[in-house]
Amino acid sequence: MSFDSPFHVTIDFNTSHMIFPTIIAVILGILFVSILITRGSTILATVSNGNWWPAGIDHKRFFGTIALTVIYFMAMPAVGDIFPNTGLGFYLCSIPYLFALSTLYLHERSRRTLMIAGANALIAPSLVWYILSELFNISLP
Amino acid sequence: MELLSILTPMFFALVAAGTVIGIIFGAIPGMTATMAVAVCLPLTYSLGLENGLALLLGLYVGGISGGLVPAILLNIPGTPSSITTTLDGYPMTQNGEGERALKIGITSSLVGGLISLAALYLFAPALADFAIKFSYIEKFLIIFFALTVMAALSNSLLVGIFSGFLGIFISLIGAYDISRGGNGELRLVPEFLEYYLESGFSLLPVLIGLFGLATILIEAEEGMKEGKGLSGVKIGGKPFKISVFKGQIVNLIRSSSIGTFVGILPGVGGSAASILAYSQEKNFSKTPEKFGKGAPAGVIASESANNGLTGGALVPLLSLGIPGDSTTAILIGAFTLQGIQVGPLFIGNNPVTWDAMIIAMLAANIIMFLVMVFAIRHLAKVVTVPKNILFPIILMMCVVGAYTINYGVMFDVWTLLIFGLFGYLAHKIRLEIAPFIIGFILGPSAEIYFVKSLESFGTFSIFFTKSWIAVLLWILIALSIAFSISVARKKKRMTD
Repeated sequence: MSFDSPFHVTIDFNTSHMIFPTIIAVILGILFVSILITRGSTILATVSNGNWWPAGIDHKRFFGTIALTVIYFMAMPAVGDIFPNTGLGFYLCSIPYLFALSTLYLHERSRRTLMIAGANALIAPSLVWYILSELFNISLP
Repeated sequence: MELLSILTPMFFALVAAGTVIGIIFGAIPGMTATMAVAVCLPLTYSLGLENGLALLLGLYVGGISGGLVPAILLNIPGTPSSITTTLDGYPMTQNGEGERALKIGITSSLVGGLISLAALYLFAPALADFAIKFSYIEKFLIIFFALTVMAALSNSLLVGIFSGFLGIFISLIGAYDISRGGNGELRLVPEFLEYYLESGFSLLPVLIGLFGLATILIEAEEGMKEGKGLSGVKIGGKPFKISVFKGQIVNLIRSSSIGTFVGILPGVGGSAASILAYSQEKNFSKTPEKFGKGAPAGVIASESANNGLTGGALVPLLSLGIPGDSTTAILIGAFTLQGIQVGPLFIGNNPVTWDAMIIAMLAANIIMFLVMVFAIRHLAKVVTVPKNILFPIILMMCVVGAYTINYGVMFDVWTLLIFGLFGYLAHKIRLEIAPFIIGFILGPSAEIYFVKSLESFGTFSIFFTKSWIAVLLWILIALSIAFSISVARKKKRMTD
């Protein structure tokens, strides 16, 4: 893009893919600086009171959710490669994932609550896998 | 005749299923209509467009309506749009009028839904006919206007605009689309991700991440605390009589109209609609001192307004291609799945689908009313479903949705995680998600309209001088910014 006068522009088709992203990036930069200027004192106050994330959050459940989800995502294609085009990667990984997550979220673990979590972990993926993969032929990992 | 072939028992069964599932989602605190639509979207794959829309519109109407259950019984808004329902609904429950409050809310929801549906039926085709004449310049300015309206109604104008532009920026990742006149060159993509990001991030994994995973991460951060149950809550008591609406017709119509109007404004949520309607009713009331202590008029205002939003939010979507709220943003995904683009030509080119949508909305409102009136005592129990059972299932469904959207791409599942984490971070640093999403959805179109206008006319001044519509849009943009600045100043004065 070249400027012939303050308002007139000539667009070069070969580089036209960068015009809009560049303009948006410049506007984002200006907005970011404006936010820093107008909210600087609030941001500084938050930083200086030392109450930083992740202080005060439930570490076990928050990071546990992320860790289990990452493991689940990595395991699905690996297991799926062993049983290609069957959706079994999804099915076989969802059962332990659901059980682990349900147990992680439990506040009082008793035989009864663990049984319910186990039954849920077995029934829900089985139903989803059967309906989507077997009945509707929708591809699953 | 073609329409009759679509209106099969299956069509209505899907509307009913969607409505019931939507009510359940809406009734469980922390889960929203948006989440319901996002999670169930992959199910529409094998259903075809009309049947798929039947399910999704049922979910939308049900999801918005279900929020009144915990709002009235537990003082917890099931969805953000039920926030003002708690103000009078819960005191009514405390006074032993729980069932009465629920039925007042349900009836008001029905009226709000029907009035907004009438508005949708009348306004959307007219607006679409008008919008057909728009050139790229007016289309670009409408997107710009939509972003400023959303930003103006955010907590902070600056943060709202920043969020919208951030959404646009992220939507530009990938190739400059050849099929729409671009040069096909990649931009903003790291080399090792070129294979995955040639077409950028897929819309639906982004939405599912922002509304599904992010919500669950926020709940996990707070420890997945179970809400108080229904023990001690008296649902029965004073019976519901239709005479409670005597003298409330003006309230019903005004609140439904406010909801519909707010819905038409792009990106403004149901909470704004119900707050506005509630405050208007309180201002006009002869007994404002009764509000907040169990006044049926408060429940009527809030619930008719938030259901009034449903039809209103579809007006800009179906006539301009701009979503009215985050749930209708996901509906764009349903159209994309079926290879149909929404915009000014949609209604004219797809009259049968348009009629089917209207009938689905009508059926969803009626089914919502019947299900909630006759089964409210049983449905109320869903608010006690343990989160440790529910949320893992939702996460699994999020994965299914993300994976199946492009016929089995694992990168889309990772996209879900990336945007789930982004949604959580955005919540922490108070970025505005609604402008971000609208920016993300409309960014590629905005780019095409902007660059092609400059290629054709060679001057920036064309954006101001092309037509009277362009001038009007600039005035509206200026007004929305001025409105936001004035509200911010008022807020500041009040806090000082």
